[in-house]
Amino acid sequence: MIPPIAAYDLGRIPYREALEFQRRAVSARASAASTDAIYFAEHEPVLTVGRAGSASSLRANPALLAARGVEIIPVERGGDMTYHGPGQIIAYPILELSGLPSGRDLHRYLRDLEEVLIGTLDGYGIRAGRRAPHTGVWVGDRKVAAIGVAVRRWITLHGFALNVDPDLSHFDWIHPCGLRDLGVTSMRSLLGTAPPRAEVQARLREAFARIWGRPVVEMPGRPHLEELHA
Amino acid sequence: MPVTIVVPQLGESVVEGTVGKWLKKEGDPIAKDEPIVEIITDKINIELPAPSAGTLGRITIPEGTVAQVGQELGQILAQGESMPQGGAKQAAPKPAPSQPDPRPAAPSPSPAPERAGTAVAERMNGEEQRVSPAVRKLLREHNLDVARIRGSGMGGRVTREDVLSHIEGSRVAASAPSAPPSGQAPGRAPAPQAAPQPLKPIPGPSFGQTGSREEEVVQATNVRKKIAENMLRARHMAAHCSTWDEVDMTALVALRARLKEKVKATYGVNVTYMPFIVKAVVRALHEYPMLNASMTESGEIHYKKYYNIGIAVHRDSGLIVPVLHDADRKTLLQVAQEIEDLGSRARADKLQLNDIQGGTFTITNAGMFGATASTPIINYPESGVLGVHLIQERPVVRDHRIVIRNMMTLVVSFDHRLVDGTPAVQFLHRVKELLEDPESWLLDSI
Repeated sequence: MIPPIAAYDLGRIPYREALEFQRRAVSARASAASTDAIYFAEHEPVLTVGRAGSASSLRANPALLAARGVEIIPVERGGDMTYHGPGQIIAYPILELSGLPSGRDLHRYLRDLEEVLIGTLDGYGIRAGRRAPHTGVWVGDRKVAAIGVAVRRWITLHGFALNVDPDLSHFDWIHPCGLRDLGVTSMRSLLGTAPPRAEVQARLREAFARIWGRPVVEMPGRPHLEELHA
Repeated sequence: MPVTIVVPQLGESVVEGTVGKWLKKEGDPIAKDEPIVEIITDKINIELPAPSAGTLGRITIPEGTVAQVGQELGQILAQGESMPQGGAKQAAPKPAPSQPDPRPAAPSPSPAPERAGTAVAERMNGEEQRVSPAVRKLLREHNLDVARIRGSGMGGRVTREDVLSHIEGSRVAASAPSAPPSGQAPGRAPAPQAAPQPLKPIPGPSFGQTGSREEEVVQATNVRKKIAENMLRARHMAAHCSTWDEVDMTALVALRARLKEKVKATYGVNVTYMPFIVKAVVRALHEYPMLNASMTESGEIHYKKYYNIGIAVHRDSGLIVPVLHDADRKTLLQVAQEIEDLGSRARADKLQLNDIQGGTFTITNAGMFGATASTPIINYPESGVLGVHLIQERPVVRDHRIVIRNMMTLVVSFDHRLVDGTPAVQFLHRVKELLEDPESWLLDSI
C-alpha cells in the first residue's frame, strides 16, 4: 500500500496564520498525528525574507508598504526576499522526506518541486525551465514560480509560489530573490487569460502524484490539526 | 565524551552548506532531537536535530560560514561533562580547499573558541571579526557601523536580522513624517491607494438576540466546520430518499450470545452485531451494485468492485467515519477485530488518512444511543448509507399469534439520482433476509 498524500486548500488566509499553521502541521506530522500533506493557499500582499535574505533586496519605501498593510516577515525558509499576494497559488508540502523516492536529498527535493511546476505549466503550453543556479521556475528571463523550503526533523515546510494571476507591479517592491537583472511573469501574461485556480491546483496535484509516485488525494475543508494534535 | 554535531548527508549533490543560524547558545540545555542549528543549501534551510541530550558545549562553526558534509559543527556535553581542554584544537575546522576564506580581514580562519571564556574575550576585542561574512557584506552595502547596532546573537553578536531591523527602523523613522497621521478620516487622506469602502451590511437571518437574552457564542472547531461542510455538500449534491423495514434479529442475538464469550476468550475480540451487519451488507451490495457506486457531476457512474465500508463513530469532538477496507475479503473475525481497532483509534484521534478515505458505502449505528429509527445522511459521493438501530423486544405477529421477538428498524438512505426506489427496497430486504437467517450464509463466508 503506497501511502497517499492529502491535499488541502486553505483558501486565502493571512501569511502569519499560514506560517503558524505550517509549524503546527510539522509537529503533527513528526508525532505521526497527521500524514504527509500538501496545503494550497493564497495570501494578501506580504513580503517574506528567507535566511539568505538581505534588506538591499527591498526597493519600495518601507513606510509606503506599511501604509498599505504590507508586512515584511522574516521566515526560516532558504532564499532571499519574496513577494506573496492574491493571484498566486502557494503550495506548502509538509511531508517526511524519507517517504519520497529520492529520500532525504535536499537538492533532489528542490528539483522535484521545479519538475512539478514545469510539468504543470507544460500542460498549458508554457515552456518553462530551470535557470541554474537560480532555484525557481523560469520562462526565458522571467520567473513564473519561486521556491523556498525549510526542513525540520526531516519534514519539509514552506514550498513554492506559482504566479497564476498576481498584480505583477507588486514585484517592483523588491528585487525578487535578490536578482536584479531578471524579471517576473505570470500564467496570465503568458497565456492572455488566467486559468481557474481549481484547475491549476488539480493539475499540480496530478504532477505531484506523478513525480513522487504516490496518490495525492484532495481532501475537503481544512484539516483539524489541533484535534489531531490533542 | 562530548557528542559531535556534524553536517549530515543532505543529498547526493550536496557537499557543503552554510551555517545559517545557531538556534542554541553555548551552555544552553538541549533535548535529544531538538533543532539546534540551521544549515542552508540552495534554497533549502534545514534545522539539524540534536544527536543527543545535554548542553551545547561548543559552537565550532559560526553562523555564515560554509561547512562540508561530515564536518564538525559543535559539541554536546552530557550532564556533568565539561569541554576537554586539549582536544578542541584538532576538531577545529579546516578551511575547505574549494571554498576561499571569505574574510580576508580576519587574522586567522576563525579558530574554534577553546573555552567559553576565551570566546567572550575574543568577541569583546574584535567585534568586527565576529560577524558573519553575510552580515559584513550587508554592513558594507549600507555603510553601517556594527558598533551602532544592537546585537541579539550569541554573546550580543550582531546577526543579519539585527542589521535588517536596524535598516528597517531607520527607514521608517526617516520617512515617518510623510506617512498619513493616524486617526485621520480615511476618505480625506492622500493615501497612495483608494481607501477601502466599508461594506454595507446585508440583511440576513438574526442568529440571536445578543445582549438581550443570555447566549453563549463559541467558535466552531475545525472538526465541526468540516462536518458541517460535508453534510451540507451531501444534502446539496445527492437526491436523498430513505426507506425502512423491520428486521427480526432473534436468531442473530442468540448466535452472538453463543459466540461472545468464546471469541473473547480465544481471540480477545469483542463480537458486536456490527461485523455481521457489515458482512450481510457486503453480500447485498454485491447483488445491488448501484448502492456501491458514485455518480460524478459530469454524469459518469463509477461502480466500485471493492467493498470499503465506512462505520460512523461518535467522538466528543465530532462524528468521524473510519473505513474498513476490502470487507468482502476478510473473515467475520477479522472484520470484528478491525472495527474494534478503528473505533478505539477514532476515539483516541489516532486515525491515519488512509483510515478515513476510500469508503464505498457507510453504516451508521444510531441504536448505540437508543434511537429506534433515523434518516441518515449519505456520506457523499457514496450512493447509500445504512442506519442500524436499537434491538429491542417487541410484540410481533407470527402464524396468527402475537409473540415476542428481538426487533430492529433498518433504514437505507440512498441517492435517488442513481438508485431507483425498487432496487433500494430490494437491497434493504436482502440485508434483512441475511440478518434474519445468519447461519444460512455464514458457512460460506470468507
